[in-house]
Amino acid sequence: MTQLATDEPTTTPETASAPSPLQRFLHAREASTLLALVLLFVVGTVVAPGFVGADNFLSVGQQISQLGIMAVGVTFVIINAEIDLSVGSVYALGAVSCGLLITEGLAWPLAALGGVAAGAVAGFLNGAMTVGFGIPSFIVTLGTLSLYRGVALLLSDGAPISLSSDQPGVAEFNLLGQGELFGLFPMQLVIFALIAVLGMVVLSRSRYGFNSYAVGGSAEAARLCGINAGHVKIAAFTISGTLAGLSGVLGLSFLSYVQGVTGTGMELTVISAVIIGGAALFGGSGTMLGTVIGVAFIGVLQNILNLRGISSFWQTVATGAVIILAVAADTWMRKRSGKR
Amino acid sequence: MSGAASPSDPAAVAVDVSGLSKQFGPVRALDDVSLQAPAGTITAVMGENGAGKSTLMKVLAGLDSPTAGTVTVAGEQVRRFDAATMLSRHRVALVPQELALAQARSVAENIMLGAEPGPRAFPNRAEIVQRAAALLGRLGENLDPRRPVGELDAATQQLVVIARSLARDANVVIFDEPTSVLSPAESERLFTVIDGLRADGVTMLYVSHRMPEVFRLSDHVHVLRDGRHVGAWRTADAEPDDIVSAMVGRTLQHEPKAAGTTPATSSAAAPRLQVRELRGAGFDSVTVDIAPGEVIGVAGLPDSGRIELLRAVFGADHRTGGTMHLDGEPFAPHSPRDAIRARVAYLPGERRHQGIFPTMSVADNVNALTLDRHVRFGLLRRRSLRRDADEHARELRVKTSTTAQAITQLSGGNQQKALLARWLSIDPRLMVLDEPTRGVDVGAKAELYALFRSLTERGVAVLASSSDLPELLAISDRIAVMAAGRVVDIVPAAEATEEGVMAMATGARTMKETA
Repeated sequence: MTQLATDEPTTTPETASAPSPLQRFLHAREASTLLALVLLFVVGTVVAPGFVGADNFLSVGQQISQLGIMAVGVTFVIINAEIDLSVGSVYALGAVSCGLLITEGLAWPLAALGGVAAGAVAGFLNGAMTVGFGIPSFIVTLGTLSLYRGVALLLSDGAPISLSSDQPGVAEFNLLGQGELFGLFPMQLVIFALIAVLGMVVLSRSRYGFNSYAVGGSAEAARLCGINAGHVKIAAFTISGTLAGLSGVLGLSFLSYVQGVTGTGMELTVISAVIIGGAALFGGSGTMLGTVIGVAFIGVLQNILNLRGISSFWQTVATGAVIILAVAADTWMRKRSGKR
Repeated sequence: MSGAASPSDPAAVAVDVSGLSKQFGPVRALDDVSLQAPAGTITAVMGENGAGKSTLMKVLAGLDSPTAGTVTVAGEQVRRFDAATMLSRHRVALVPQELALAQARSVAENIMLGAEPGPRAFPNRAEIVQRAAALLGRLGENLDPRRPVGELDAATQQLVVIARSLARDANVVIFDEPTSVLSPAESERLFTVIDGLRADGVTMLYVSHRMPEVFRLSDHVHVLRDGRHVGAWRTADAEPDDIVSAMVGRTLQHEPKAAGTTPATSSAAAPRLQVRELRGAGFDSVTVDIAPGEVIGVAGLPDSGRIELLRAVFGADHRTGGTMHLDGEPFAPHSPRDAIRARVAYLPGERRHQGIFPTMSVADNVNALTLDRHVRFGLLRRRSLRRDADEHARELRVKTSTTAQAITQLSGGNQQKALLARWLSIDPRLMVLDEPTRGVDVGAKAELYALFRSLTERGVAVLASSSDLPELLAISDRIAVMAAGRVVDIVPAAEATEEGVMAMATGARTMKETA
């Protein structure tokens, strides 16, 4: 509707008072997600023994890091009004490539880079096909979900790849996933935090982030403003693939072990986290802070169910219910505030 | 509430709205609105964007429920505000602006949806087609009802929606700005259909911005402003100026363009834009010069190629031949980016889909072309961006509580002003305007005209196109009439008449013959 139901002939920016930072925060989409997370913390504190404590929180942080890194990438894709269903397979592709390179005797930093690069190429191809063929990314990445999985299985020949700690460099490589900064913060969590902050800055403060919101909101309007919508989208897919590849490398480093089937179904958890965080599948909206909160929400929920000793089958049920509830609550609140 | 309508004829009241209010959060979209639509007549409802017309129509069609007040249809008070109840129980149908049809299904299926003959689970297909054809025939349309709706143009799809309301035996039909997507000829056909419905005793509510059609069709006129009912007239006794004053809440000075400011430069000065034999999809061999400060208005039917010509000049669509020069330099944009670099601006006709970034703030929308000015160390400076947008918004009198607000919360006119601010930021040499005031209310239109005028006074050349012919004649210095992809004639606007231009656009005559 409209805000013009006042008698003032013109309300210039000067005469009207801008909402205070607190009001802005309360209206922000993140506020409701954050509130839900706080509630979850309260529930956890009450019902789950051992929930409160630095050890448990850090271990939750460790557990959500790989998911979170992938979610940062997928946030870019979803804001561009596209979807990336292939990240679980790209995760495996990154891990398998890196594992093979290490077993082949390549220095571990180069092998790690190789795994990330494999993800970047996979992501770039997702974008190039979506834009180049002009077909929906849902279809393209549904295809590459299977295609990249197949490549990972072919590369590993279906057999697990184990890194033996006798091999030179493997001990150092394992620090990426297993190490702790200052002997306290899990290295994976530190990497996730750095990437989340970087993602936040790029999304909210860079020309590229601006272009992503513009293209996701209206690709045609963006084109008429001289923005190359195709390039912006391809870049988003490449970011998503790169971060999925990196996440795979961290997974390998954490377990010293990878199989072609690793990461199956992970794309759904990643997309769930982004959506719980408030990004709309129509594109053009969503924030990195929201995604981080969404990731934390899923992590904390699973942690509470674990601590209560509830079966992982129920965790799967709970995650599904939460996605529906989150979007339903958001839709309800939007309706109430009269925004359409 | 001056001069409340007193239906002089003692005929029954078909729709009686009493004390209706509708609140959206803090916004009062309708405030104690009362009006009556006598049976078998056409009641026009006018008002600026945001006046509450659409909300009122939505309530009457059951798409929204009121916060307070009552609606009585044919003597029965409405208890449940939902679309199905309004349609099947109260027989009120809506012809919305955005036609909601199943594009892949046939005309017949769309028309008979919900009123299929035969057993409910297995309707009689042959009879569906037959009845649909009969209903279309009643509207003077002999279209094959088996064709998919998606193949039809907007005007014919609209007829399908009207036929659908007849299929449900609607006694009251609501038209929400039905001509906004139609060419003049198509509008005329619609008016004939509406006349026919009136002859059949159908009561109609007619929402529009356009004065001539309201006077052509309606029996009564009601005006809403800021959600309140501010005036009602019998159309026969009404003066257009009174209605406009009620709509804007103040008296309006006429003069879209001050006579005499027409630059006598068109022949003297070197052309700002020189177009020679330009060809592309939908248009052919277009040759025209635009002088600095001159407004060329391109008139023609929607399929005349005028929209395609504008897009091609801006580099949004491919050209297949011909040349352009901008201030004497070759100008051959391959993309909008090239055109923007050459300081050419383009205000697209489809504001919602091609103009605004719907999920972004007013500030971001205004600054979309000039982000680079607000970058330091590779980072956007949000505060400087906001300050800049505030300044532009104030200059163009964009009504917004803050530029941090979402652009979709502004009315159509204010969105258009924000988009104009976006393009002014590149200090354009040439502005390409497609339907510059579509969906813009009367008051904002006047402001936009004044803005265009101040631009041309600064020497900006304008290539404009509009399906609103009186507007185009008023803002242009010269009119280029297009028909079937070609420029038929270019004439000074002062000498052109609506009738003459339409005759050429429809291919009936050339201007010389009319003169």
